[in-house]
Amino acid sequence: MKLSAIRPILLLICKELAIASLLLLGVSFIVFIILFLSPGDPFSLLLKGQMASDTIGAGTREALGVPTAWYAQYLSWLSNILRGNFGTSIRTGLPVLSEVIRVGINTLYLTIGSMLVTLLLAVPIAILSARRGMTVFNWTSTIFTYIVSALPVFWFGYIVIYISMHQFGLFPLAFGSSSQKIGWLYFMPPVLVLGIGNGTISEVVRYLREEMERVFSEDYIRLARAKGASIWKHSLKEGFLIPITEIIASKIPFILGGAVVVEQVFNWPGMGRMAWQAAQDRDYPLIMGITIVAAIIVRLGSLIKSVVYIIVNPRASQE
Amino acid sequence: MKRLPNILLLIFFFAFIMMLPQAEAGLKTDGNPDGGTLNYGEYGRPATLDPITSNDMISLRISELVFNGLVGIDEKQEIVPELAERSVISDNGRIYTFYLRKDITWHPREGEEPMPFTADDVIFTYNIMMHPKTITPLKVRYEFIKTVTKIDDYTVRVSLKRPILNALAKFSFKIIPKHGPENPKFLTREDPFVHKPIGTGPYMLKSITADREIILEANDNYFKGRPHIDKFVVRPFADQNIMSQALMFNAIDMIVLVNHRDIPQIQGDKRFVLQPYNALSYSFFGYNMRNPLLVDKRVRKAFTYAVNRQEMLSSFFQDQGTIISGPFAPGSWAYNLDVQPLPYDPQKGIELLNEAGFVKGNDGIMEKDGEKLSLSLKVPIEKESEAVKRVVLAFKNYLNKIGVDIKGEFKEWLSWKEDVFLNHDFDIIFASWVFDDSADISSLFHSSEIGPWKNNFGAYSNPEVDSLIVESKLTLDHEKRRTINRKLHAIVADENPYTFLWTLTNYAAFNKKLRHVAIHPYNFFPYADDWFIPASEQH
Amino acid sequence: MKRYSQYSTNVSDFSDVPFWKKAGTMDLVYVSYGIFIVILVIVSYILGAFNLLPFDPHEINIKLLMAPPKTAGHILGTDFMGRDILSRLIIGIQAYFLPGLLAIAIALVIGTCFGILAGYWGGGFDTAITYINNLLNSFPRLVLILLMVAAFKPDIYYIMVIVGITNVPVVASLIKGKIQFLKQKYFIEAATALGLKNRIIIFKHILWHNCRSVLIIQATLGMAEAILMETSLSYLGFGVQEPIPSWGNMVLSGANYFMQGKFWPSTAPALAILFTIMGFHLLGDGLNNILEMKRSK
Repeated sequence: MKLSAIRPILLLICKELAIASLLLLGVSFIVFIILFLSPGDPFSLLLKGQMASDTIGAGTREALGVPTAWYAQYLSWLSNILRGNFGTSIRTGLPVLSEVIRVGINTLYLTIGSMLVTLLLAVPIAILSARRGMTVFNWTSTIFTYIVSALPVFWFGYIVIYISMHQFGLFPLAFGSSSQKIGWLYFMPPVLVLGIGNGTISEVVRYLREEMERVFSEDYIRLARAKGASIWKHSLKEGFLIPITEIIASKIPFILGGAVVVEQVFNWPGMGRMAWQAAQDRDYPLIMGITIVAAIIVRLGSLIKSVVYIIVNPRASQE
Repeated sequence: MKRLPNILLLIFFFAFIMMLPQAEAGLKTDGNPDGGTLNYGEYGRPATLDPITSNDMISLRISELVFNGLVGIDEKQEIVPELAERSVISDNGRIYTFYLRKDITWHPREGEEPMPFTADDVIFTYNIMMHPKTITPLKVRYEFIKTVTKIDDYTVRVSLKRPILNALAKFSFKIIPKHGPENPKFLTREDPFVHKPIGTGPYMLKSITADREIILEANDNYFKGRPHIDKFVVRPFADQNIMSQALMFNAIDMIVLVNHRDIPQIQGDKRFVLQPYNALSYSFFGYNMRNPLLVDKRVRKAFTYAVNRQEMLSSFFQDQGTIISGPFAPGSWAYNLDVQPLPYDPQKGIELLNEAGFVKGNDGIMEKDGEKLSLSLKVPIEKESEAVKRVVLAFKNYLNKIGVDIKGEFKEWLSWKEDVFLNHDFDIIFASWVFDDSADISSLFHSSEIGPWKNNFGAYSNPEVDSLIVESKLTLDHEKRRTINRKLHAIVADENPYTFLWTLTNYAAFNKKLRHVAIHPYNFFPYADDWFIPASEQH
Repeated sequence: MKRYSQYSTNVSDFSDVPFWKKAGTMDLVYVSYGIFIVILVIVSYILGAFNLLPFDPHEINIKLLMAPPKTAGHILGTDFMGRDILSRLIIGIQAYFLPGLLAIAIALVIGTCFGILAGYWGGGFDTAITYINNLLNSFPRLVLILLMVAAFKPDIYYIMVIVGITNVPVVASLIKGKIQFLKQKYFIEAATALGLKNRIIIFKHILWHNCRSVLIIQATLGMAEAILMETSLSYLGFGVQEPIPSWGNMVLSGANYFMQGKFWPSTAPALAILFTIMGFHLLGDGLNNILEMKRSK
């Protein structure tokens, strides 16, 4: 990378930081409003299982020092966040930040792993069909991608578990069976299931193929080809890098969401599952922590996309 | 080469025999072998692990392994001494004096010497439980206590506000150590103690892994003798189907509550034992008597006649349960066996509706004065809800046959709760009550319990029931209370504020290698220190 | 007719043809499969609406729970309440049909408005709409939907409103991109210079002539997404609620018996989902190729 490329990247990062903080403010506010409007008091669950509840239930908020007015609640949350304090979960009492990081890492494994699986499947198919057109093999593999993108993901997960139990004699849960040998092998099924079944492969293949076809038919590539040069070198950046980063950035929110189901099926202690539980408990410090972290991941994706843009095409940044 | 495994086994066996005499005095004397690990699966994760702030069944089971109460309840449901070696009750029944055991120590924290258990801990537990800033479901249960005072290091005196029947059983609440929580005044869920508690019980909390497995290790100094099984591992699952497969695949050794649809599969498998235990709970359809259509008890009775409970129980729950007729759990002493459940008789149901003034309209739905007998049935959504769906859909179907239109509505748990207990915006609900050891129904049917966030959600009110409930609470004579409760049972069964359905028999499923397994219906694990795994199957 | 011959002549001639032309026949196959599925969907909708079903889909038979296929006239067997799976499968599409259309309508209408505001007028609108788009994109969408249904009501229409809203950014950025492309070619300046009204430029020239294929494609993809989303939510217990059948809750209730080796009750609705979603995807992609490529030529 040339030195001249660094300055626009720095500028971009500053701009992105400003945008991101505004976005995070918006995200947290919307989530808070939804939670506030929803029926049910998060503090009531602390007393679940008890029969008579009104006398003690009423004092719960006061006992915990939680303001009653909604704006006061939001503002106190916001001022804590600005001081780096994400608060503690209502249900478990654990600090939100460390909890979200703990499960967030698990979810990142799952998300990045499944993204890799998706790309490993989609890229060869896309390249082959862009280069060679529709051969029988390409056609079959394209249809295959359409089929797998239409699978209901939890049903697919059940099939994988059933087959690996009855055919291979493995119980494919990575978590909750730590005593088993070759632990890493057990991380594969959920990653594969989410990578194949997240419903985006066909879209990724189509998008990559179109981008490559477009680039291949551009004048400079034709020229290179006419001169007998390798078109790969020339088309790599525009026909490959940009579309892939674009896909990764735009599919992150989708895969983060789809992870909820896979996490449930494969007993994977991830962020989606935690968010799901927290939503039912109205555990607002936790939900807001999770959505903030998720939004940060999404923004990181789009930041990487912009950086790649600039590296590939430095002129674009000057516009 | 083929003989090698046998030789290994032999060596192992010898090693085992030689180990026995070396062991310390804390061992149990029943001659059963020590060692082995028990992995058990739970559906969901506990929020906290201490006995004060926790309120879910999963943590309750864990705290049974880690803590002890002053008294305990044995397999015959009788009160036995635990932390207190004996107790003296004053003549007027208001002063209880507990003499504590002197040989008990708390689980040591890392790098610490074990601390002795003393009267201070009991007083500390009581104070922390009753502190206004401690949020605990236990508080209401112990409001009958006036003071707890320390006589000396091993003697505690409790005085009650008024004498109550069977108060001794209530002192089974778990004692936590004075040096446990960081905050000496009150306990919140933010205190580190609630996630890493120490107690006096047979098992010590070793660690919680990153994927939320809870690992418990045997307490060598347990005052009833070291428990046989070395290690308990609690494994949380998020999907019940996967959890039962984990059992079938030996990834876990025990499921504490088997889903009824998995019973046939496990029953057919010789590797597992299904052990029934009678849960103190029952399911019911509850009616909202604020709705004028449901005020007439003939209408409510007609509904009960129309529902074929036996058919549902056999088809949906493999006949694993008992149909009930009244508001007490059938396992409890208060249940009146003389009151028979109403039989399935839809014709009788139609007659009762006609008597109450309802006639069939043109569309086949009963109506009275132009008002259709069309009711809303609200049901909370649970993820694992097949059984609930089945019962609710079948109920709707049965009532349809006698001309009652039921509109089922599934609602998310917290908003369902708000609809039922706060807004009273429902006609019928499907739910269950779970009882602890007492058989107290005062909050369910007493008319003073009508109101927001109170348990008499259906606004049932009957002066006779009210006075019987009060009388039953005040009496100190067990036989008399029993008579009153039997009478209560008969009245409530006749008035039919609920359509009482059944108490299900719960099953725990476990691997055959576990021996001497006894299960407590509510706390599940009190006898776990006597369970063992034969040496040959410990691997 | 003309288009058909154009593609069919290309089949035999493989040399030196641009790639997309070779794919042309495939696009036609895709589209016809997609149309076939759409017709099936409409037919089953009609069958359900006029109650032309083998059994009453709501009739409970407690004596015949989880019956295997071909038991007592139930071609696909019965479910956990003894109801006929085939009949429920046929009317299951009703759970998606109107709600799916709602999701599509929301995404298209709001997305188009946003796209036009941002692309045509630009300036402050552009900044505001970019912010809103980024905001909507920053939520993991399933989590947002979970929050909404957990908070309010597990109603398919609520779910679809959110699916629609979260799809707004996609449509908006596509439309905006189109308009910016047209602006680059001085097309819009020329039209304004000719004295055409904004209204006419937007509706006739931009939307009708240049964006209709984008909109059609987004509509087909939106339907597919609506179905998949409901399936995932059903697994979590918050999809369409009993007794109304949806393919999602049918797969769930059947999947409870999957591990016991009873495959049929979940496989039938899962395959229905699979073929239908595939149909919508193929239809969208095929249409995209045919309509867009034709223009770029």
